[in-house]
Amino acid sequence: MKLKSLTNAHWLAIAFTAFCALVFAQMIRIQTSGHAQNLESWAEKYGYEVRTIQSERGYIYDRWGHLLAGNKEVYEVGVELRYVINPTAIATAVASVTGADFTKVLGMASTPYVEGQSVYITLKDFVDSSQIDQLSKLKQQYEESNRFGENPDLPTLRGLVWTPHLQRVYPENSLAANVIGFFPYLDRENARGFFGVEEEYNDLLAGTKQKVIVSLDPYVEQNIPTAPPGASLVLTIDREIQSSIEEILDNAVKVNEAASGTIIVEDPKTGEILGMASTPRMNLNEYWTYANVYTSGNTYNKAIGQVYEPGSVFKVLTMASALDLGKVKPETTFNDTGSIYVGGINIYNWDRGAWGEQTMVGCLQHSLNVCLSWVATQVGPTDFYTYLQKFNIGHRSNIDLSGEEVYPLSIPGDPTWYEVNLGTNSFGQGVAVTPIQMIEAASAIANDGKMMAPHILKSYIQNGQQYETNPTVAGMPISKETANTLTQMLATSLEGESSDALVDGYRVAGKTGTAEIAVNGQYSSNATNASFVGWGPVDNPQFIVYVWLEKPKSSIWGSVVAAPVFSDVVKQLVVLMNIPPDAIRQSMAAH
Amino acid sequence: MTTYNENRQRRKPARMKLISPHAFRQAPWRVQLQYVGLFLLALIAVLVVAGVYLSISGQAAAAGLAYYNDNEDIQDLERQIADRKARLALMTSANVMETRAKELGFERVDASRAVYMVIPGFTGKSPAVLAPPPGLVATQEPLIKSIYRQSLWDWLFAGINRLSDSVGGNNP
Repeated sequence: MKLKSLTNAHWLAIAFTAFCALVFAQMIRIQTSGHAQNLESWAEKYGYEVRTIQSERGYIYDRWGHLLAGNKEVYEVGVELRYVINPTAIATAVASVTGADFTKVLGMASTPYVEGQSVYITLKDFVDSSQIDQLSKLKQQYEESNRFGENPDLPTLRGLVWTPHLQRVYPENSLAANVIGFFPYLDRENARGFFGVEEEYNDLLAGTKQKVIVSLDPYVEQNIPTAPPGASLVLTIDREIQSSIEEILDNAVKVNEAASGTIIVEDPKTGEILGMASTPRMNLNEYWTYANVYTSGNTYNKAIGQVYEPGSVFKVLTMASALDLGKVKPETTFNDTGSIYVGGINIYNWDRGAWGEQTMVGCLQHSLNVCLSWVATQVGPTDFYTYLQKFNIGHRSNIDLSGEEVYPLSIPGDPTWYEVNLGTNSFGQGVAVTPIQMIEAASAIANDGKMMAPHILKSYIQNGQQYETNPTVAGMPISKETANTLTQMLATSLEGESSDALVDGYRVAGKTGTAEIAVNGQYSSNATNASFVGWGPVDNPQFIVYVWLEKPKSSIWGSVVAAPVFSDVVKQLVVLMNIPPDAIRQSMAAH
Repeated sequence: MTTYNENRQRRKPARMKLISPHAFRQAPWRVQLQYVGLFLLALIAVLVVAGVYLSISGQAAAAGLAYYNDNEDIQDLERQIADRKARLALMTSANVMETRAKELGFERVDASRAVYMVIPGFTGKSPAVLAPPPGLVATQEPLIKSIYRQSLWDWLFAGINRLSDSVGGNNP
């Protein structure tokens, strides 16, 4: 075909065909060029990122929803060495804003970039968001005056980056520190909870941690996995009660010059711990002070972690077993001659005096060792220790807090048990318990003979649902009648001695305890454990309180130092728990 | 037996048939125009398909990037929520609240000064309910719906299966 014979249509077709051929050729060229191969290899290399997906650590709340442990946003500040232009400017900015060491930061920021080896260096971690705002403003300011850092004479913060992450925070600082425990957040890779709830429920709080490969190719269909937050815990603790008993305890320890102190408040009907204070305590946000606060001999939470001879508070268990067996009644009399011979040893009263004829109420009121030793002999060793075991003495209460201790109970047949133990154990010497074990046992008397397992977890929230924990009955060591009888006896005995434990308007029951402490194998009357266990209101107990002051110097007697503390606690409790005085409550019930 | 003339007369119509197509043949430029038209039609069809493909690809890429960014945003928001909760807790901590109350002239009430009254229907404070109890939360659906994971064939077969089930082809 000659050129002349080509029509316009021919030329049009040729033009289109040529255009299409060119487009096609260009497509082939783009796909196969060296640049394309570079892009492909770059995509293979950087098309994915390994991302660590860490669950947010669960929160800890008090029973009313006040946050006791949460998480706040902080930043890791670092340099991407490839983009660093002016290390001095970076060091100056970071040091002035965050307080980091200038020389150290300068050294790190000046590290030369080596692909695959030195790419990124962390300059400072856990930087507050307000400091990041300052750095951000500074970076922007420098960028405006020195675009792309092109002028080497002007400062630039190019290469300085920050990445947010969460840090454990305790808004109440030292409040309930002994119960909560702490999370050493500075170790971002391997941190786990220590002590208290943080350790006990670490697995539940921590959630999951996983590394996933995330494609940066937008065409790749993928579900970027999200790590659900760790479970949040709602404790049985009441923040206001906790705050009050800590204040009262700190004051009592100070005024009485005691080595340490513990107060536990529990709901005897459910076993819920409403407050648990112990000294010393530390600010959980500064957990690294642990070694300074808890020097040798100091247990993190003495309420559960330190065993001691409880002394006369133990007499309530002796009397409970005798009443339950029918060996004695409140009006049973005992002629106190000032000593009793048990297991080859003479046992004396706390004042070495003879108190003459006493009813069982009088024995409790005057806290007579001789009388209670006689009561124990009436019960007999087999039954006495059976009852103690029913009261869970010698066993852990299994409270859901980390670090509970136990001291084994010597029973007949054990090589460590002697006949005299029956006498001494009856008034709380030669037997060791923790405060939580003691309050658990006594709670049976306050709750119609039913002993509830003490616990600290009220509910937990997991996957958006709140699961309640159910109160558990730990045992029924005595009958309801025995419990009520003993409660009345203890209330009467407090009233009879005009105890400092009494509270105007409220009838309470309780027992003091003064236990000598063995020093170098010898009991010393100068060093004692002063205790008090009590509950109220007597007709419908809604709280049980245990007070323990270790080695008070103002007075060695529980009735002098521990009983007033109980009273102070109850005065706060009745307000915080909305418990009207007995007269008002009974008149309201009558209507 | 037929003669030559007879045969000649019979063939006449046949000659007419051979000649008639030439009479209606398209002008050459028209034929060329048809070819060009057909070519352009095919080209346009290819361009339309390519255009649709590019458009869908672009939307898919944009959606992929948006999903990635949204994921980042979710994480940012979760951190911010946690941070604000902590700040709120700091501002309402027991010590801070007590200090503020004292500054405002409040003091702790003494049991002896407390006045109690009966409020019908009030049963006291209820413990914290921070999430619904089990059983009230609907099961979460997968993040990417199946419709976005199906090919056209999958979708077609699934539709056919549903149709046959609804007609009664599949009895339990």
